Amino acid sequence: MTRPGEFTASTDAAALDTTAVIETPERVAFSFELAGPVRRAGAYLIDGLLRAMVLFIFAVIAVAGEAIGDAGLSGVGTGVMLTLAFAIEWGYFVLLEMLMGGQSIGKRVLGLRVISDDGRPLGFGASVLRNLVRAADFLPMMYALGVAVMMKDQRFRRLGDMAAGTLVVVEERRKLMGPLVIHPPPTAFELAGLPHKLDLSSEDLDALELFLRRLGQFPPAREVELAERVAPIFARRMGLHYQHPVRFLALLYHRATGRSDHANP
Amino acid sequence: MQTRDEFVAKRQRQWLELEQLVSTGAQLHTKSPTQIAHGAALYRAVCSDLMHARAMGFGYDLADHLNALASRAHNALYGPPSFSFGAVVHFLRAGFAQTLRRNLSFFLIASAMFYLPLGFAIAATLTDTRFALNVLPPSTLEAMASAYSSGFGDGREAGADSAMAGFYVYNNIGIAFRCFATGILFGLGSLFFLIYNGVATGAVLGYVITAGAGRNILTFICGHGPFELTAIVISGAAGLKMGYALVKTNQHTRLGSLRSQAGELVELISGAAVMLLIAAIVEGFWSPSGLPDQVKWAFSGIVSLCLCAYFAFAGRGTVHRSLRPPSHSLSPPPPSTSTPSTSPSSIPPQSTRGIG
Repeated sequence: MTRPGEFTASTDAAALDTTAVIETPERVAFSFELAGPVRRAGAYLIDGLLRAMVLFIFAVIAVAGEAIGDAGLSGVGTGVMLTLAFAIEWGYFVLLEMLMGGQSIGKRVLGLRVISDDGRPLGFGASVLRNLVRAADFLPMMYALGVAVMMKDQRFRRLGDMAAGTLVVVEERRKLMGPLVIHPPPTAFELAGLPHKLDLSSEDLDALELFLRRLGQFPPAREVELAERVAPIFARRMGLHYQHPVRFLALLYHRATGRSDHANP
Repeated sequence: MQTRDEFVAKRQRQWLELEQLVSTGAQLHTKSPTQIAHGAALYRAVCSDLMHARAMGFGYDLADHLNALASRAHNALYGPPSFSFGAVVHFLRAGFAQTLRRNLSFFLIASAMFYLPLGFAIAATLTDTRFALNVLPPSTLEAMASAYSSGFGDGREAGADSAMAGFYVYNNIGIAFRCFATGILFGLGSLFFLIYNGVATGAVLGYVITAGAGRNILTFICGHGPFELTAIVISGAAGLKMGYALVKTNQHTRLGSLRSQAGELVELISGAAVMLLIAAIVEGFWSPSGLPDQVKWAFSGIVSLCLCAYFAFAGRGTVHRSLRPPSHSLSPPPPSTSTPSTSPSSIPPQSTRGIG
């Protein structure tokens, strides 16, 4: 049992889904989807482009200023530029993560957010730490160490995240889907073979629903192959026989949810 | 019993409302009080809807949808710990020195790892110039020697000063930050950068002294050196502390042990950054000025004394207040430990001392 606000490492099933579960003070456990290296690299590239653009614009201003300005002051532009380059290199992420609640512009575009690993928002100290240790993640070049550490870690943390106790999560809207339609509709003959009460847990039903919703996205042979992995388990558990595994799973789902019983003559 | 469709139909209006509230991207606490209260109520309602949907087995997509909505609302609702200007002032006046005193052993080790190689490199180069030539490229050393050959008797133009100040900010603070960050490799990175920077600095000093410009370069360095060298050592000390936490875990996990030191690490490196910023300004504008050498050395002496006094005495008698608010507790911490202004012992130093 976890205390509120405590972060629990994913269990086996969840580890497959790369989610991390957090229990809030409201005693609700919800899961955050962890952001993987590719998506994070994408956000980093967007931020990198922005930083380069800002620096470039200021460089143009500095050069123009030095060209028209007093000769004795030539160098002021360079000084400002270098200071700015420093601020952008080391301060960009801390500033934006503080202003945008754990996001930078690249992270917002790709729907990522940095949160503290106890589920609370990112604090100032943690942001400073994770972005300073970035220099170690960068070693020996191009974030090789950071990516290697991330791959090895169950929660996709780079060294900076580990030091600061932070996670990068994906924030996405999920669409509510319409009711699942089984096509062609089950016939009375097909349903007659099934008992009225099926021995299916809610997780079983979720799995069936997820599978049935993705029908048509796989080649038919792959659909059969996937269905063949679970259909025998259900058939054995309920003492049933089937001819086509995909159809069998659809019928099971149909009977268990009972949603369209009245629609069936 | 309620079916999924009835449940969705009944609740969906509130979900959409919360969706709109959090999709602006702004933190909830920036909105009006009524909106905050309303948002919080909606959030709690969605939390209970999520549990209900899960318990009733209303389907994976519904639970997923509510989960995503609730987690986004959670992030919008629970704002980050607020950042107070008073805490920063207190940190600079007392907290930084207190934290450094508490980590004196790391500071001393880091000092040894920096100054011993530095002294050694100077001595070795004075004995035989080839030492410096083996450490750094000859072109770099020649450039340094010729840069300091004429001294700064006439000062420099303001523009060149700004350019160099910018360069020092970019280069030197970067070096210090890297020296700290690589401490996460069990302290080895910090160790490397401390020794390497010590040897390189010593080689340059030795080479320029051999070339006959020793007085010029030392007079140049004396103003900002106390800030800059101390700050680099502090960054290295923080890096060593980070590495040590990973090795000596005190029955925590390695990361847990590191995490427990995170607050002090942030304080040390933030303080070092402030010192390096001061150093860059001094190095850019004061050190190359045409002031007489005596003035520069007097300034250096006073600055060194002030720094020593600061680290030795600042914040004695005041309660330590972390820059990083205490985490891992949901209830607010007892006021007596978190806000020194309410504890009687801290009032005299706070009220009698001026700024700085």
